[in-house]
Amino acid sequence: MTEFYAANSDLILFAGAAAFKTLVFLNGVMGFTALLTLAERKVSALMQDRIGPNRASLFGLALNGLFHPVADGIKMVMKEDFVPGRAEKLLFTLAPFFALVPVLALFSVIPFGDYVMVFGYQLDLQIADVPLGLFLVLALSGLAIYGVFLGGWSAKNNFALLGALRGAAQMISYEVVLGLTLVGLLMIFGSASLQDIVRAQGRLLFGWLPAWGVVYQPFAFILFLVAAVAENKRTPFDLVEGESEIIGYFMEYSSMRFAAFMFSEFVEIILISMLASTLFFGGWQVPYLYESGFILPGGKALALNHYLVALLQVGAFSAKTVFFSWFLLVVRWTLPRFRFDQLMGLCWKRLLPLALLNILVTGAVMLALGKV
Amino acid sequence: MPKLTIDGKTLEVAKGTTVLEAAQQLGVHVPRYCYHPKLSVSGNCRMCLVEVEKSPKLLTACSTEAAEGMVVHTATEKVKAARRDVLEYLLLNHPLDCPVCDQAGECGLQDYYMEHSRAKSRFPAEDKVRRQKRRPLGPHLVLDNERCILCTRCVRFCAEVTKTAELEVMERGDRSFIDLKEGRALDNGYSLNIADVCPVGAWTSRDFRFKQRVWFLKKTPTVCLGCATGCLTEVHHNEGAIYRVMPRPNAETNTWLCDAGRMVYKAVQAGDRLAKGVIKNGLIELEPALRETASRIDENHAAAAVLGSPWLSVEDNAALARLAKDALKTENFSFDFNAEQGIKDGILINKDPAPNAAGARRVKAACGGLSFGELAAKVASGAVKVLVTEARAAALLKNELKAGGARLIVFAANRSEIPQGAYATLPYANYFETPGTFVNFQGLERRTVPAVAAPEGVRPLWAMVNRLAVYSGTSLHLDSAEAALKGIL
Amino acid sequence: MISVKKVDNRPLNWLERIYLPEIARGLAVTLRHFFVNLFNPKGMPTVQYPEQQLELPHAAKTRTRHRLKLRADNSPKCVACFMCQTACPAYCIRIEAAEYPDNAVEKYPAVFDIDLARCVMCGMCVEACPEDAIAMDTLEIPGGEQDRARLKLTKEDLLRNLPGEPSVVGAANRLANEYLKSKGGA
Repeated sequence: MTEFYAANSDLILFAGAAAFKTLVFLNGVMGFTALLTLAERKVSALMQDRIGPNRASLFGLALNGLFHPVADGIKMVMKEDFVPGRAEKLLFTLAPFFALVPVLALFSVIPFGDYVMVFGYQLDLQIADVPLGLFLVLALSGLAIYGVFLGGWSAKNNFALLGALRGAAQMISYEVVLGLTLVGLLMIFGSASLQDIVRAQGRLLFGWLPAWGVVYQPFAFILFLVAAVAENKRTPFDLVEGESEIIGYFMEYSSMRFAAFMFSEFVEIILISMLASTLFFGGWQVPYLYESGFILPGGKALALNHYLVALLQVGAFSAKTVFFSWFLLVVRWTLPRFRFDQLMGLCWKRLLPLALLNILVTGAVMLALGKV
Repeated sequence: MPKLTIDGKTLEVAKGTTVLEAAQQLGVHVPRYCYHPKLSVSGNCRMCLVEVEKSPKLLTACSTEAAEGMVVHTATEKVKAARRDVLEYLLLNHPLDCPVCDQAGECGLQDYYMEHSRAKSRFPAEDKVRRQKRRPLGPHLVLDNERCILCTRCVRFCAEVTKTAELEVMERGDRSFIDLKEGRALDNGYSLNIADVCPVGAWTSRDFRFKQRVWFLKKTPTVCLGCATGCLTEVHHNEGAIYRVMPRPNAETNTWLCDAGRMVYKAVQAGDRLAKGVIKNGLIELEPALRETASRIDENHAAAAVLGSPWLSVEDNAALARLAKDALKTENFSFDFNAEQGIKDGILINKDPAPNAAGARRVKAACGGLSFGELAAKVASGAVKVLVTEARAAALLKNELKAGGARLIVFAANRSEIPQGAYATLPYANYFETPGTFVNFQGLERRTVPAVAAPEGVRPLWAMVNRLAVYSGTSLHLDSAEAALKGIL
Repeated sequence: MISVKKVDNRPLNWLERIYLPEIARGLAVTLRHFFVNLFNPKGMPTVQYPEQQLELPHAAKTRTRHRLKLRADNSPKCVACFMCQTACPAYCIRIEAAEYPDNAVEKYPAVFDIDLARCVMCGMCVEACPEDAIAMDTLEIPGGEQDRARLKLTKEDLLRNLPGEPSVVGAANRLANEYLKSKGGA
């Protein structure tokens, strides 16, 4: 056995580190998701001149509603877990997993920092640096459609089925745009590894402008944001399941199965926020911060400890994620819903041609600049 | 045959008809307090004043006989003013204690005030004449002299209908009041009719006192089962409870209702109402009681007998006959009751206290069976080992049962009805709870209408007989009261 | 007359059709509210109800929890006339009448229940009362309870006079007043 350990110490170390990173990162994401459910209610309340939930209390301590996610969770667990008599039991059970698991799996390719040296071991702050990370993102997010469609179909409820059909149509349509908006980035950065893309954004243009994706592709960023919100099935694109008005694909779900669908929606918000910051806003990059510390455009330098730098980078990534999450909540409570024909028209008649045009223009500019 | 015109409509009436009755035939309501169709005309309340052409003054419609060529107006300004003034006068000394008065809601003063006056009283409350309030008189009534308008309907009722004349108007003028004659008691057996005829709240019923406001009451027309007279009545009930029984005046049988007949409903909601079976004084659930009863009957299959009952409806007697003929297959049954019938006191109360002896005889006519004497002899001799009957009918065979020692199985609605020595008792829904056909002493068929629901689990007697037969292994197919009646009426 | 509002359904212009400026305008509105409320929570109109209560406007003061008034000898003014039960559109009042052996008023409520779970606080019972015996001026607003039974008010819960009750004698009921006088009351 010892020989085995000795021979494979690298591998074991890598596996242990990966497991540790997964644990910490996913738990962080889950915790943030729980807080996001509260944040959604609080943000909407503030925008509507209300106070929002503030009653759930632990030992008489309400903390302005901080325990509401806990209360919600307990309530969800306590509810009757109901399965319709005519439902396809197996698929009905699987659908919530299809909704939640691909979304959670996607976090493995997102870099939340550069690297940290721990006892001489270089710990990459990314669960798995997949060379084709960007394609994995598109592939796995495509799987989430199964959650919607199986959930709606297996319940054997006509309304749920209609909701699922709407959902599948919408998600497949916007999936196309989502993929095309990223093509420009691929062309510019020349890599599909997300860590590579983030590192490439650490450079400076003209000596002072951070070379973030949004600087190269401002147009693609807007298209990406629109497509991603549509993919997430949230207002103004919440025709799949519109809270109080439109019956959706998970109408027969109750208890924790229902919670899984709701939870996946909030996890997706974080995912979109992380992708947006990774692809267009430099990920964990802080402008003018390098491995040794800050070097400002004027030439002034401020040397920083390695761990402080890593901490700043992870902090910057978290801050960007929180900002985009908040922004998505604000967008949801600002815009009215599209009609379904408008939704489809927007996708196929506006966004798709624009995304294609973006690719063409990007290619033309690159040709002109001789970057190919 | 005088011909007269009332409010522009002309009609011909019999000689001797009053203007008020003639107006009634035309559907014109002339307000009245002292007039009552079954009492003599008194003409003291002045409420029915109408204008008759060529007459210098207004005339009381109740006491003016219709004459040839008379032209009557009941709605002129003069008449309306007269009504207003009469009402103001009648209300002068009225205490206006409607909130505590049981008559409120069916009070003549309230109704006519709203219809014809609506004037504010000009008489100061301090100056009102005071009288004795709340005074129990007789077993059933309370008299409140302050509310009285001295219409003397009660005095005339006692003088003319019961001919006991206990009441009289004492004193004169504004001191006059209604009172009992010295040394008399108001216990003539029809006294509750006084509360009915009283148009105001002076006479109220002690039994009904403060139980329910009248506007909550629902009215179900049904038949009195107090005796063989079979008066038509109206049950007043609300939310599953009966509050009073009133007469339903009709030409054939009754205008009034006796006090005993009005109290029959008490048994329905008495505390001893049976909802379960009784075996030898012990209450047991209905199903085991039925099973036990059925097995006792089966034991002595050949020596079982069935006696109908004059207290049961035709349907239920017919069901008992089916039990004897089709389930027990015995000849030992009797529906022959020959108690003397006829009005005992010249008013309503019948010599036969059972309501349906005539109905039981119709079952006999259709199904045959022994005479009552033959069955009694068989019971007395001991040839009958099990007798199935109704509780009150079993009392008719009290001595024979003692002599013969037959096992007695009865149907009873209340525990107090169960005769001594009954082996098994089964409950049944009485006729305030289930429809039934009764034949009164005049041979008139009358159906009861259920006013309230039976206690939970209690079914009509025909349904209980059906169950009993099923436990004995025979199906009688008695699925409805109509099924039981088939071939009888 | 039906009022008519003319809606100007003009087609969207080019800037509006690309949505983005309009989205920005919308975001400006919502963000203004968001930040104003975030930094100045006191400016929000929300009232934290059970802890914090606004003073009731004039008419609403007479639409609060019921009470039954008392006479000087602590007997209920109510004579069980059933007027409130009759007037009640929610069927929430249940009365059982009983008779006084001595009191000249004759009638009083042995049972007087109000089921607040059914009550719609319309005040019809107060309007209907000929004896001025029931009032809805306790200023208590019935709230939620964990148990239905606790929303049922019995006669004992309802009987109370407010401090400085204007008149305990001198009610609509002449007989009650005389009875109280004969007893030596005020």
